Amino acid sequence: MIDDLDVRCPIPDRGAAPILPVPVEGVQAPRPRIGIFSLTSCEGCSLTILEQEDELLSLLGAIDIVDFREAKSGADGEVDIAFVDGAVSSPHDVARVRQIRKNARILVAIGACACLGGVNTLKHAQSEHDYRQFVYGDRAPQFPTGDARPLSAVVRVDYELPGCPMVGAEFLRFVRCVLSGRPFRLPNDAVCVECKRRGTLCLYEKGETCLGPVTRGGCAAICPAYGARCEGCRGLLGNEQLRIFARNCLQLHGTPLAEILDRLRLFGVFQGETLPDSQPPDGPPT
Amino acid sequence: MWKRIVTHDELIERIDALGRERRLIGPVAREAPGCHPPLRYFYEHVTRAAQLSLDFDYCVYGPKAFVLPPRETLFRFDRSAGTFVATPIMDAQPTALVGAHPCDLHGLRLLDAVFQNDRPDEQYRARRSALFVVGIDCARPCDARATCADWGTNRVVGGCDVMLYADPRNCGNNRRNAQYAVEFCSEAGRTWLGDAGRADDDAVAVSAGYHARKDAAFTRRLSASVEQLPALVRASYDSHIWEKHAARCYSCGSCNLVCPTCYCFDIQDDCDFNGAGGSRQREWDACMLPDFAVVAGGHNFRLLAAQRLRHRVMRKAAWIQQRTGLSACVGCGRCDRACTASISLIDMLNEAAQEAGNAHR
Repeated sequence: MIDDLDVRCPIPDRGAAPILPVPVEGVQAPRPRIGIFSLTSCEGCSLTILEQEDELLSLLGAIDIVDFREAKSGADGEVDIAFVDGAVSSPHDVARVRQIRKNARILVAIGACACLGGVNTLKHAQSEHDYRQFVYGDRAPQFPTGDARPLSAVVRVDYELPGCPMVGAEFLRFVRCVLSGRPFRLPNDAVCVECKRRGTLCLYEKGETCLGPVTRGGCAAICPAYGARCEGCRGLLGNEQLRIFARNCLQLHGTPLAEILDRLRLFGVFQGETLPDSQPPDGPPT
Repeated sequence: MWKRIVTHDELIERIDALGRERRLIGPVAREAPGCHPPLRYFYEHVTRAAQLSLDFDYCVYGPKAFVLPPRETLFRFDRSAGTFVATPIMDAQPTALVGAHPCDLHGLRLLDAVFQNDRPDEQYRARRSALFVVGIDCARPCDARATCADWGTNRVVGGCDVMLYADPRNCGNNRRNAQYAVEFCSEAGRTWLGDAGRADDDAVAVSAGYHARKDAAFTRRLSASVEQLPALVRASYDSHIWEKHAARCYSCGSCNLVCPTCYCFDIQDDCDFNGAGGSRQREWDACMLPDFAVVAGGHNFRLLAAQRLRHRVMRKAAWIQQRTGLSACVGCGRCDRACTASISLIDMLNEAAQEAGNAHR
């Protein structure tokens, strides 16, 4: 059972992803046109951009924001970089993200919803009929929503900036990398790395099974720093880590696999069927 | 050698005097609800000596961060004026580390050997020379995982300016009655204490049997002597024990990052938005992380967790010792405690030693 697990992981390294033309010495490069778009989401990731107050003026000095519903009235048109938050969960979303893709040289999925499906995927615990009935009642036919999917399920995505919300500092680093023509990579390390760099007391000392050891870091381990265990919003590091984690949880911490998988459902990291709470393949917990 | 006895009040007064000249760092108790015991100690910045808990068991993290910060800017560069200008960033304010245990002082000695002697590192050297260190002996095993007695790192042989030994006769329940025997390790240490305390050439705290009694109280032991260990661990290079333990390993790097002697770092450049300037950053790296050994072209010469685990153990038990003459494991037990997968360095060393020992017979 553990060996069959399959999770969605943000892709850390898009070595072949496009970058903007590298600035040439002495030539004033045109400021890249940026669009910030939202699909099914709380738009908190878009707002994260506005929260970078300390860097906002430098940022705005280097780019032209041509479309940003949270901050200005927009006009659809071609952009150099499209940042998109939210999951694709309706025919409207599908058409919109296809249009955005068509108009953008670089498409960046921002936040857990756009990268993994996010909390929107919690509704998948019910049938499509049931959740639509629950939300829209009699008017359900007028709202053609469906399962929530990450952008990459519909269009080609060049970069992913995961997290719930996305990490502001990582967004700024991404923009700086693109502006200077340098490759951008997500960290390929666990959240534990940043807990240790910050000097946080490990939540395992309190007997909590934090998802930090298997979750992609880069978030400055902010949740454990405030005493809350990691819930894996940036996606897992890989299937291999999840297999080890599931086995260790059973054998070392007495946490059943079903509980782990339930927690991975929060941000759409794992969306398989509900698994029976059975014995692990390699024997009962010791 | 034991020149002085100071009372608790005298010591506090001297630490406060130190704090008027320097940033004070020392063990601070933090409530840790849900933990057993519900208290943990951290080396932290304090403003008054009274905030320190000198009778702490262990600090969750060593004092490494104060000489090698987890993240630092090495220099800023700027080419807006048409020429390339790099400005080093030196952040070395006068600091006093008060209350470092022997294991952590040994950790500092190893970092000194690496960053001061081997390949001098300007930022490290600046911070280290601005650091005044007051050690304090732990008197008893801090934790069931500690193996410092077997590594010989539960006794101080330098690395500090002053070493304190709590006099067990007078500690009791009332800390204010405590007395400390003082060992001077530098002229600066002597100057700091000044006239405080009284001369006492046969302080009880450090009587002949003190260290022997302390050594005997440790329950976790290395199965081989530190003299034999390097050869035994090397002989286990091709053993299966690395794969066995790595089967549980997430490669999260926690063991490296909490280690008071792990000093590896990564360097990255960052550019400003306008492209005219930027900075070079250094941050703690860890040889257990999957990408640690990735080189240009994308090749990873330690792709498997088992290879990384073996590499780490070899460095702790053999390679660094060979290069610096100092033990790269100070027996503090932090890596074992930090591992959420319950992988133990000491278990691996003992298994390696046993396996190699058996093969030898």
